[in-house]
Amino acid sequence: MSKNLLDIKDLKVNIDDIDILKGINLKINEGETHIIMGPNGSGKSTLAYTLMGHPNYSIEDGEIEFEGENINDLKADERAKKGIFLSFQYPEEIPGVTVEDFLRTAKSSVSGKKMGIITFKKVLKEKMKELDMDDEYASRYLNLGFSGGEKKKNEILLMSVLEPKLAILDETDSGLDVDAIRIVAEGVNKFKDENRSILVITHYDKLLSYLKPDYIHILLDGKIVKTGGIELAKEIDQKGYENIKMEFSN
Amino acid sequence: MTKWKRIKLNEFKFPKVTDYNKEYLSYGQLPQGVELNKINKTNNNLIIENLNNNITGVGDEFTSHVMANYNTGISLYIPKSTNIEDPIKLEFNMDDENPTTIDQNIIIASANSESTIIFDYTSKDENNFHNGVTKVYAKKNSVVNIIKIQRMDDKSYNFDSNIAYIEGRAVVNWISVEIGSDISGSNFTSILEDEASEGNLASIYLGNGTRKMDLEYTMIHKGRRSISNIETRGVLMDQATKVFRGNLDFKKGAKLSKGVEEEFVVLLDPTVKSHSIPALLCEEDDVQGEHAASAGQINDNQLFYLMSRGLDIREAKQLIIQASFRPILDKIPMDDLRDLILEEIDRRLLNG
Ligand SMILES: Nc1ncnc2c1ncn2[C@@H]1O[C@H](COP(=O)(O)OP(=O)(O)OP(=O)(O)O)[C@@H](O)[C@H]1O
Ligand SMILES: [Mg+2]
Repeated sequence: MSKNLLDIKDLKVNIDDIDILKGINLKINEGETHIIMGPNGSGKSTLAYTLMGHPNYSIEDGEIEFEGENINDLKADERAKKGIFLSFQYPEEIPGVTVEDFLRTAKSSVSGKKMGIITFKKVLKEKMKELDMDDEYASRYLNLGFSGGEKKKNEILLMSVLEPKLAILDETDSGLDVDAIRIVAEGVNKFKDENRSILVITHYDKLLSYLKPDYIHILLDGKIVKTGGIELAKEIDQKGYENIKMEFSN
Repeated sequence: MTKWKRIKLNEFKFPKVTDYNKEYLSYGQLPQGVELNKINKTNNNLIIENLNNNITGVGDEFTSHVMANYNTGISLYIPKSTNIEDPIKLEFNMDDENPTTIDQNIIIASANSESTIIFDYTSKDENNFHNGVTKVYAKKNSVVNIIKIQRMDDKSYNFDSNIAYIEGRAVVNWISVEIGSDISGSNFTSILEDEASEGNLASIYLGNGTRKMDLEYTMIHKGRRSISNIETRGVLMDQATKVFRGNLDFKKGAKLSKGVEEEFVVLLDPTVKSHSIPALLCEEDDVQGEHAASAGQINDNQLFYLMSRGLDIREAKQLIIQASFRPILDKIPMDDLRDLILEEIDRRLLNG
């Protein structure tokens, strides 16, 4: 049996005194791929932000354990250093900071090692090629004026450079064209190995057909109400959430 | 001293002025005919000629104090069509032994000449004091670049008054870097005297701790088709206070002139005070004056985005500050100067 990586126990989170997550339980072992699906506003991004340590999302109750250690009180940068990564649903634009400078700074922060500019350039070039990204992105300002799809690809580029243990992908497939989805999926598959795990938040089963997930979870109104295999995603793709909502409406 | 109300400097007491004895001047190859002299009370005709010509600068009290008490500075005469390739550099490093720098600088750039002069003010000990006046006479078609860096200690005071008289088709480029001192007041005034005179001011400022600064940039358009451009990037954090005054003054006769001023400030903390007071005065219709000021709160989401990639809060802020300053820093042609500035910014973030 593989080792546990992430263990979420009865997690309750509120924003501005409104309960958003109402008791989430989720275990992710090393090497596993988990999918979270759920209607708009059900709390998927809230879960992602909370796992990454966004200061506005306060944990009311419950525990987040990463590699057996409670990380409830760790700041985002400390979690990043432990190997947690979030691909944002809406990546922020940072004018003035180039993609390359940012990636190099982030890489040395996360790894605790300084990498020479030339070595890093080489690594970056390779990873960009894998993701079918033009070299010129490296010298552009971070996400500024990037198209929706380009921003998502850039998030995956970050992931493959930073090499986290747990990658949380929040709707990374939204806004990508079919070719880009395939390329991103290849990137994710390349990144994944027996130790690294991924948690994918998505609305579509297109990406899932490439990723071979181990579990699909349905998040409804701040709770995981159902867990199953790939067939669950197929069902939702065809029938929507109505049946599940009916089933759990009281 | 009504001007100083906002930063509460109504009863400023001037310290006792002592000599400034350190070496401060360095330069490379000086072409034939260039006259560069250190200033002291007795030796300088250029200064004496200019003594009658007092300016207001940061305030009459301050400029008169310089006239009466100057203890250092330079006079520089550049002959016609002469290009001084290596920058001339003045470095004033105040300490307990040399606590006051009261500098008078006169620069006369003859027609078609080109030159760059750098001033770097630093201080080590408490109560160091700088009060200076720099006058630039840019004759027809000349180009003068003045870079002023003020990175004095947090317990020091800085006052700096600068004026340029810019003739037809001459250009004066001011670059001002304000990152030090407890209280700092600086004024840069450009008088665009004639046809197509051009004045540019690019500046950055960083306010941290409880530091206060009052920055005033004035462009007085007299000549036709004269051009001015003010571009300022600032960052404020902690309890810092800043007053920014950008004045575009189009006098009668300045037809077809254009002035642009832009200030962009990043507010890292809600506890800072940022006042921006742009003024546009027109005696002539056919002119174009534009001003834009904006203050950007760094939002929590941007900081979180950076931190989620392993940068701690200081590194994240540092990255944002550097990004904001970059367009101005890129105008400084010397790498070593840029590095000094970045280092000083780092140091201030670390202490903060
Ligand atoms: N900063 C906030 N302030 C107030 N309410 C918020 C905030 N962030 C999220 N919410 C609310 O929390 C709920 C869950 O939002 P969340 O973004 O987690 O949904 P989601 O499942 O990711 O939806 P989508 O599929 O549309 O991305 C929503 O009702 C949303 O309006
Ligand atoms: Mg979402």
